[in-house]
Amino acid sequence: MSILQVRDLKTHFFTQDGVVRAVDGVSFEVGLGETVAVVGESGCGKSVTALSILRLIPKETGRIVGGEILFNGRDLTKLSEEEMRSIRGHEISMIFQEPMTSLNPVLTIGTQIAENVVRHKGVSWEEARRRAKEMLELVRIADPERRLDEYPHQLSGGMRQRVMIAIALSCDPKILIADEPTTALDVTIQAQILDLMIELKKKINAAIIMITHDLGVVAETAQRVIVMYAGRKVEEAPIEDLFDNPMHPYTRGLMAAIPRLDIEAEVGGRRTRLHEIPGMVPVLTKPIPGCAFAPRCAFATDRCRTQAPPYVESTPGHVAACWEVDRVREMAA
Amino acid sequence: MAAIAEASLSAAETRKPRAIWVAIRRNPTIFVGSLVLAVLALMAIFAPLIAGDPLRMAPAERLRPPSETWWFGTDQFGRDVFARTVYGARVSLIVGITVALAASAIGLVIGLVCGYSRSVDGIVMRIMDGIMAIPSILLAIALITLTRPGLAIVLVAIIIPEVPRIVRLVRSVVLSIREQPYIESAIAGGTRGAKLLFKHILPNTVAPLIVQATYVCASAMLVEASLSFLGAGVPPEIPSWGNIISQGRSFFQIAPWSILIPGAFLTVTILAVNLVGDGLRDRLDPRLSRRM
Amino acid sequence: MNPQNSDAPSLEVENLVKHFPIFGGLLRRQVGSVKAVDGVTLSVRRGETLGIVGESGCGKSTLGKMVLKLIEPTSGTIRLAGVDITHLSPREMWPHRRRIQTVFQDPYSSMNPRLTAGSIVGEPLENFGIARGSEKEERVAQLFQRVGLRPENMRKYAHEFSGGQRQRLGIAKALAVNPDVIVADEPVSALDVSVQAQVLNLLIDLQEEHKLAYLFISHDLAVMRHISHRIAVMYLGRVVELADKRRLFTMPLHPYTEALLAAAPLPNPKKKRERLIIQGDVPSPAKPPSGCHFHPRCPFAIPACREVVPTLQEVSPGHHVACIRRPPESEPVPLTKTI
Repeated sequence: MSILQVRDLKTHFFTQDGVVRAVDGVSFEVGLGETVAVVGESGCGKSVTALSILRLIPKETGRIVGGEILFNGRDLTKLSEEEMRSIRGHEISMIFQEPMTSLNPVLTIGTQIAENVVRHKGVSWEEARRRAKEMLELVRIADPERRLDEYPHQLSGGMRQRVMIAIALSCDPKILIADEPTTALDVTIQAQILDLMIELKKKINAAIIMITHDLGVVAETAQRVIVMYAGRKVEEAPIEDLFDNPMHPYTRGLMAAIPRLDIEAEVGGRRTRLHEIPGMVPVLTKPIPGCAFAPRCAFATDRCRTQAPPYVESTPGHVAACWEVDRVREMAA
Repeated sequence: MAAIAEASLSAAETRKPRAIWVAIRRNPTIFVGSLVLAVLALMAIFAPLIAGDPLRMAPAERLRPPSETWWFGTDQFGRDVFARTVYGARVSLIVGITVALAASAIGLVIGLVCGYSRSVDGIVMRIMDGIMAIPSILLAIALITLTRPGLAIVLVAIIIPEVPRIVRLVRSVVLSIREQPYIESAIAGGTRGAKLLFKHILPNTVAPLIVQATYVCASAMLVEASLSFLGAGVPPEIPSWGNIISQGRSFFQIAPWSILIPGAFLTVTILAVNLVGDGLRDRLDPRLSRRM
Repeated sequence: MNPQNSDAPSLEVENLVKHFPIFGGLLRRQVGSVKAVDGVTLSVRRGETLGIVGESGCGKSTLGKMVLKLIEPTSGTIRLAGVDITHLSPREMWPHRRRIQTVFQDPYSSMNPRLTAGSIVGEPLENFGIARGSEKEERVAQLFQRVGLRPENMRKYAHEFSGGQRQRLGIAKALAVNPDVIVADEPVSALDVSVQAQVLNLLIDLQEEHKLAYLFISHDLAVMRHISHRIAVMYLGRVVELADKRRLFTMPLHPYTEALLAAAPLPNPKKKRERLIIQGDVPSPAKPPSGCHFHPRCPFAIPACREVVPTLQEVSPGHHVACIRRPPESEPVPLTKTI
């Protein structure tokens, strides 16, 4: 059973240079307690998708122009701002890449966690403070009683991200959206936070939407993956299927392009070259009639350039938007 | 400056009314401000063609209210307030522009040197702090009592206290530019000395300097008007808005037009300069313009 | 003019130290210092990439800026092809700048926004009187072509290029004066994966063509595995391990190196390894722990680690490690298995 259904979501930004189709018809579902990763390079629309779900698109420049987002059967795109406020931080919560800017520098972290609890659960401040302490214990912050009265600048980057997770989980959300939660952190701290999230996942029953550019983070945390390119979903698959058998030429290219820590990078004493995806990400102000990846794709035909590709399902749950799936598969074999 | 050049370039390139309209819509404040200033400048330049003699007295026509013959009325000596106001624009614009240019030029040089050389910085900045502590109106009164009153001395008196403000700005901008990776990149590429200063540092100080210069311009016009009002400014035989208001104040109840009209001109002019300044700041400051 | 020694490494650094003073109190007196780089000895040969890897605050960027003489070292020696440049004044350093160039991390802020791409790349040519006028234009066009940019784009401003293209511009500028050494500080970490691959391949090709020596600074071990020949791992201003790439990845000897290798998430869902996750944060370089800086986070620390500052010891040919639990005669078995 799914808790969130995104159907044909379109979020556009209206800028001086024209309409930016940041998210251009994306559909996916998130099951109860499932971890879904949304992966792609900068500008692919993964963060805008997350912000759209929480209706946090800045009003002056952007708008959800089409589609629906069904959460427990309610269409979030139709809710009033008031109703959205009672959902945000409560039933759906979010953690961001930069924990410093997401925390209020003049409030103690205890106050910031308790505030969220008081607002959504309507409990007393004493009760909320007790909850805040519990949450700090949950995210494995040592000496939580003392930390409650500290300010964000007194904490390290990793500690702040733990506090963000504590705030996000303080009201038992149904969905936790994590937007590049470890990107700004050092490698060893990133490992600690990922480890914490995997561990928490077993304790709480929230679904997690993990937004990331890092296929390593995807492999380590997710059960299902959505690959985005230029505002569209190009491939969706259960985690092992995607890494074993990527269908879309973009996914294949991406996997071949990343330098690997676990694979020998030398052949006969010479360094191997990485696979390159030629060209650049397309400009999103111009409508793209066919497949957005066609200009960079080795398999592209005229049809790819003019007609939007259909979603082809190879194995259950594994779909890719590509006209040339068969040729790609032959090449791989 | 490059940003302005770019903007005007792109507008000139397209040469379509639509492009101009887009430019106006993007920057309505700059457009409105510039339009007002352009009208005032034309008025000042072509004053002899538009208005009569501002000094001619018509004793029979004293204290006439605005009418078809006397558009803005006359003062207690029967002088044409319209002619005086039009000529008064000359003084305000000359003072505003001269002070802005001179203070920026002097401030830029001192600021660059201070930002670039640590050894000079300490001494010069303390001197600048000292100058900033002198109230500009008192300085002007002192200078004028020591010398013969005249426009030049007014200009000097206004420029001196404006310089430290520019120096502080330029210095802080230079210090922050020096920390930019592109400066390190240029040094690593063998760029040094004057070339580093003039090619890499100077052009990047221009945008904030232009914005600051507009505020200096507005403040100079106000100080000039205050000085003239106090009788320590432009000599009374030269009509300036401050003078006109000062001379009209004893007859305010009978002839309010001789104060209200130049006062309104002064207000609108300063507003226009500030509008241009705000517009330029929004346009040139990347942190602000990104939000637009 | 300089006593060049053809056998000398392209770049040598000996016992290099940089302390940044910390001022405090009302009178702005010096109350301490940040030991950003604390006695580093390294060398890079012609055609070789030496990778410097470490987390934030480990001093890798400070090291890079010191060898470029953008920061004055506190003590130690820097030699370019055998010539000591440590104490040269900016004026004396200038002729040597031709030999050592740099590619910066952030392709957005490392280009003067008021200059065209062509003049950015051509500036070093002008500075050193290598080419002027139409000859310069021609050289710049060649450089553009070599790094995969279209020469028509010479008149564009830096901000009109994409991130990857700007990094190519930075590389073209570094190549312009035919240097021996390039210091690359996180040159691909701001780029997207597909573009990162293009730039890494370009760097490898150029190195092989021109026999360049790279000092390649990065936090990303996977990138390091791809481009480096040898790797130095830094922690709080000191090198803790220095080895041939293959040895470092297959047989890491310092617990910190092991932790770094274990920490990076692998893009392979089937390899859910038992991770060695080290706890705690990287301490502030202003107040580093005593003895071995890593001891508070080290799962194998013994009381002596708090007292003794470990020196870099060669445990097998070319493999150096700074850990008192690794005496020179010890078997190169990861500590995880021995303890």
